[in-house]
Amino acid sequence: SLSADWAAEGDIKRIKTLSAGAHRSLEPVGPQYLAHARRMRHNRTFSEDDRI
Amino acid sequence: MASEGTTAPRSASKYAPEERTAIGIAFGNTNSSIAFTFDDRVEVIANEDGDRQIPTILSYIDGEEYYGTQAKSFLVRNSKNTVAYFKDLLGRDFASIDPSYCHASAHPQETNGEVTFTIIDKASSEDGEAAAPSTVSVHDIATRYLKRLVGSASDYLGRKVTSAVISVPSNFSDAQRQAIVKAADAAELEILQMITDSAAIAAAYAARIDSETAANEDATAEHKKDKIVVIADIGGTRTDATVISSSAGMATVLTAVHDYEFVGAALDKVLIDHFAKEFAKKNKGIDPRENARSLAKLRLEAEATKKALSLGSNGSFSVESLADGIDYTATINRFRYETLARPVFDGINRLVESAVTKAGLDLIDVDVVLLSGGTAHTPRIADSMRTLFNDTATIVAPSTIPAATNPSELQARGAALQANLVRDFDAEEIEQSAHPMVSTVQHTSLAVGVIAQSAAGEVFTPIIAAESAVPVRRAILLPAPKDGGDILLRFAEGSTHVNTVVKAKAAKSDDDSDDSDVDSEDEEDEEERSKGWKVQNVLAEAALRGVKKGAKIEVAISIRADMGVSFTAREVGGKAAIRGSL
Repeated sequence: SLSADWAAEGDIKRIKTLSAGAHRSLEPVGPQYLAHARRMRHNRTFSEDDRI
Repeated sequence: MASEGTTAPRSASKYAPEERTAIGIAFGNTNSSIAFTFDDRVEVIANEDGDRQIPTILSYIDGEEYYGTQAKSFLVRNSKNTVAYFKDLLGRDFASIDPSYCHASAHPQETNGEVTFTIIDKASSEDGEAAAPSTVSVHDIATRYLKRLVGSASDYLGRKVTSAVISVPSNFSDAQRQAIVKAADAAELEILQMITDSAAIAAAYAARIDSETAANEDATAEHKKDKIVVIADIGGTRTDATVISSSAGMATVLTAVHDYEFVGAALDKVLIDHFAKEFAKKNKGIDPRENARSLAKLRLEAEATKKALSLGSNGSFSVESLADGIDYTATINRFRYETLARPVFDGINRLVESAVTKAGLDLIDVDVVLLSGGTAHTPRIADSMRTLFNDTATIVAPSTIPAATNPSELQARGAALQANLVRDFDAEEIEQSAHPMVSTVQHTSLAVGVIAQSAAGEVFTPIIAAESAVPVRRAILLPAPKDGGDILLRFAEGSTHVNTVVKAKAAKSDDDSDDSDVDSEDEEDEEERSKGWKVQNVLAEAALRGVKKGAKIEVAISIRADMGVSFTAREVGGKAAIRGSL
């Protein structure tokens, strides 16, 4: 289903960036939130957090 | 929402994590409950009266203090020394309180700018002289009540309860929150964290789904990670409809609507009026509502009848010496009650619908309707929610899902789960974790997914839902086109829209629904509404070359905190793979 004349560098064509999000407040409750808070406070990414 | 930009009130008393015994408290205007987490099991604690829903009432007879159900029964013969519905009076100016629910008990009054009650809470002297009335602030009343509540939990657990997570309505002001913390401090109870009622309910629900998903691996499709959940918390004196976006167990409130009219007390009033009129018909026009004591008896019995009607199809109502020394006994069936109470049920429906609309959503976008609060036991409310949502959402209530958690217990359970999570933290850590700097994050405005070719043409498949908190990472499996080969994947943002197909009048209009009262709306053509996806922006195109026949492709998208997007696509068990970012 890839047309023959489609070509892009590295086979990826970047067209747009994500549209703007909105700032909202999470409810500071539950294990997933606390994991998020831990990552935020230590400035870790998901994978860094998984390793610890 | 109301908590935005505010820091959590701090409890003055502090315990080291290892000295703590922490419970969850749902502190209501009508009823309160307490719960504790043993390992991973939450138990709602019954007090010494055997009640798990403990009326928020305090009463004094001859210097003796009563609380809960015992205090509630004294509303009939000791109403002046009984304090009820006081939680909503905490932390407020006298001018701004609504004392209407307090008419049947001790009246609130103003003393030096504080809301107080005049009650006789001391024993009469030995020579029989009545004790002088004392002026007690609502703050002290709350402290005394919380002491009893915590005392019951301590007795049950066999050790002193030191700390608690307590839930409050989301529109409680800072002053109201502070007042609760102050009352708890005076009761020597450390408030670890104050959470909103809807967050507590959502947490109790999420914990349950997590455990069910863990127990049943195949359930992933049903228990998808991202959901729009409507919480209808229908209490005695207030009803809150909250729309939340639940993203992998994290809840974001999209809207909350509060109402003080379509509540449990309004349902009691329907029964009070009905039985009062019936009584008057039989007894020379004597209206038991005109006598305070008769009205108090009516109120207690009407509530009991209402509860019976939630469980069975018939409820009996009987009061000894209701008015003028006349006993009264009657029965009512559920259908009759539902007809009389219809305005209240309709009001609850409108409230839920308005919350969904206010969130900018369509009813069809809602995945789960979670009924909470004592009034949520009413089967008719679950039925009318099912009709409102046209069976596209799962209605979680005892009458629709027999295994559903008791709606009266959700709040206390959620608070107990949270208490269990944070009890090992220092006070500073808890405060920092709940800080708006941490809790306020970007949420996607549109869904992000992939457009893939299928037999039916181009199809947008969402991978990350709209209103997801970032950072977020999700992956799905897509079937590759039958012939394999080179595939073009287009990453895009999409939004939902509603497809309306007007179906000709259904052939079997004699639907087997139980409400056989003639409904003219049923005569119209049925519209079938379904949710569809519309591509808004194509973000990137990527080629995946050399895919085998009948292969599956795993497509993963992650969005970073700065709204940058990374995507990967790879053939499961194959060589073809591509990775990129925006």
